[in-house]
Amino acid sequence: MIVLGIDTSGYVNAVGISDGRQVLIDQSFPARTDSLEQIVDNIDTTLKKAKLKLKEVEGIGVGLGPGSWTGIKVGVTVGKMLAFSAEKPVCGITTLEALAYTTHSRTKLVCPVISAGVGDAVYAAFYKAGIQKGDFFTGDVKDLAALIKEPVILVGNNIKSYRDILVKQKPLLKNKITIKEAMPNGAAVACLAAACLKQGKTEDPLSLTPLYLKESTAKVFVNKYKVKK
Amino acid sequence: MLILGIETSCDETSAALVEDGNNILSSTIATQLDLLKKYGGVVPEVAARRHAELIGYVIKEALNTGKKTLDDVDAVAVTSRQGLIGCLMVGVAAAKSISYARQIPLIGLHHIEGHIFANILSNPDLPIPHIALTVSGGHNMLVHVKKNCRYEVLGATLDDAAGEAFDKVAKFLGLDFPGGPVIDRLSKQGNRKAFAFPRPMIRSKELDFSFSGLKTAVINMFKEKIANGESLPLSDIAASFQEAVVDTLVAKTIRAVEEKNAKVVSVTGGVSANTRLREVFTETCKKKGIQVFFPKLSLCTDNAAMIAAAGYARIKMGERSDLRLNVFPNAPLGG
Repeated sequence: MIVLGIDTSGYVNAVGISDGRQVLIDQSFPARTDSLEQIVDNIDTTLKKAKLKLKEVEGIGVGLGPGSWTGIKVGVTVGKMLAFSAEKPVCGITTLEALAYTTHSRTKLVCPVISAGVGDAVYAAFYKAGIQKGDFFTGDVKDLAALIKEPVILVGNNIKSYRDILVKQKPLLKNKITIKEAMPNGAAVACLAAACLKQGKTEDPLSLTPLYLKESTAKVFVNKYKVKK
Repeated sequence: MLILGIETSCDETSAALVEDGNNILSSTIATQLDLLKKYGGVVPEVAARRHAELIGYVIKEALNTGKKTLDDVDAVAVTSRQGLIGCLMVGVAAAKSISYARQIPLIGLHHIEGHIFANILSNPDLPIPHIALTVSGGHNMLVHVKKNCRYEVLGATLDDAAGEAFDKVAKFLGLDFPGGPVIDRLSKQGNRKAFAFPRPMIRSKELDFSFSGLKTAVINMFKEKIANGESLPLSDIAASFQEAVVDTLVAKTIRAVEEKNAKVVSVTGGVSANTRLREVFTETCKKKGIQVFFPKLSLCTDNAAMIAAAGYARIKMGERSDLRLNVFPNAPLGG
């Protein structure tokens, strides 16, 4: 089963293709402010490099975030409208799960970490053998230290700096944390989506929505104001 | 030729099917009125998130209502210029994906050009050249429509758009959102001459607008009345304020008509639904021997049918956008 995966939640347009067993191609295009301008072109380039046509693609995986709010709005809209227009089954994959997948660890606890844009605020989660343990974490990276009780692989972009903060917060973690530097990855999204589609788990493409994990500032403000009143 | 239009530049998620630039098969609009009322206006990030949630359903609904499938669609037209950046992005991302997946042409358009076409779509006999006044909560412009899709911008607002002034005054008076229709309704029971509010820049030769001073004058007067414990004739305030806006818009438009020696006026945008504005334009233009046109009420506020109509005109001229189409929130009206 040939599955196209896209993820634009970070500062790359990540596009990859899996045939359900292995990765056929894995591309990462730098995109800081121009993810919208580039993304469809990037998909076209990737398909051409893999010598595939869109009609040969049998499913689409979409990185839902968390990450850049603009990035995930663009990526999820492109993913769902491609799936709708080309009549392909679709599967939404959280970017945290896709990052965890890049470690290929089946036994160790994996903790993907994604910058939440402001200061040391991050999005994170824990996975073991591909299964999420507990809820998503949104907050200061320091507060993640208290949640780490066993050896863990930290994975993400600029991950060394997060390890340093955690070790500073809780020196005992020094020997418990290994790190893997990784960006959002299209091939990982494609592989996970292929597994999900093989099991017949498809979603209505139109229902796909970005995973923000954080309310917009306006909503936070209005809710606070309401409580005070 | 069947065009799918997509418009998400502000707070309406909309899609439409228009055949040959003049036959509307469907026009689906999902408003964000619930969010507007909650926040007292448009919050860009909140609006953009809603677009991303709804865009697919709205497009599907437009196809279903028009009894068509994507197989029948010959091109996609989308608002890519002027608007809220995050909101524009959702529409353009959707349009590109459809264009790519179906291998059909894509055209990105300026939002104001859409409004100009809303009136052409409503009145197939609207002659070109003409002077277009586009007036809403987000924009306020005088445009010389010289030829099909060829424009000269004569003036624009320097601060608040007229519709924005309506919303802000209404909010201050404790009225509902959006302010335009509420003030319009309330004004019908009020005395238009009760208060002499300023007609901003009405004597200036420039064709630019400024409504922020007028808004402040209304608010200051309102505060003064409260401080003095006087009664608040809301309908009189609304009627007098509305009259000042209408007088200014009409005077500036007539000045533009005379300057360009034009014979035709097209009033368009959300505020063109205002009954008093239509009344005064109709009276004044009749006296001066100028023809005046207004869009159908359903095409006054933001909609995708107008974008499809404008897209049809551009595609007929051989224009296309490529898959790298981007958004430009502050782009001037070109072409």
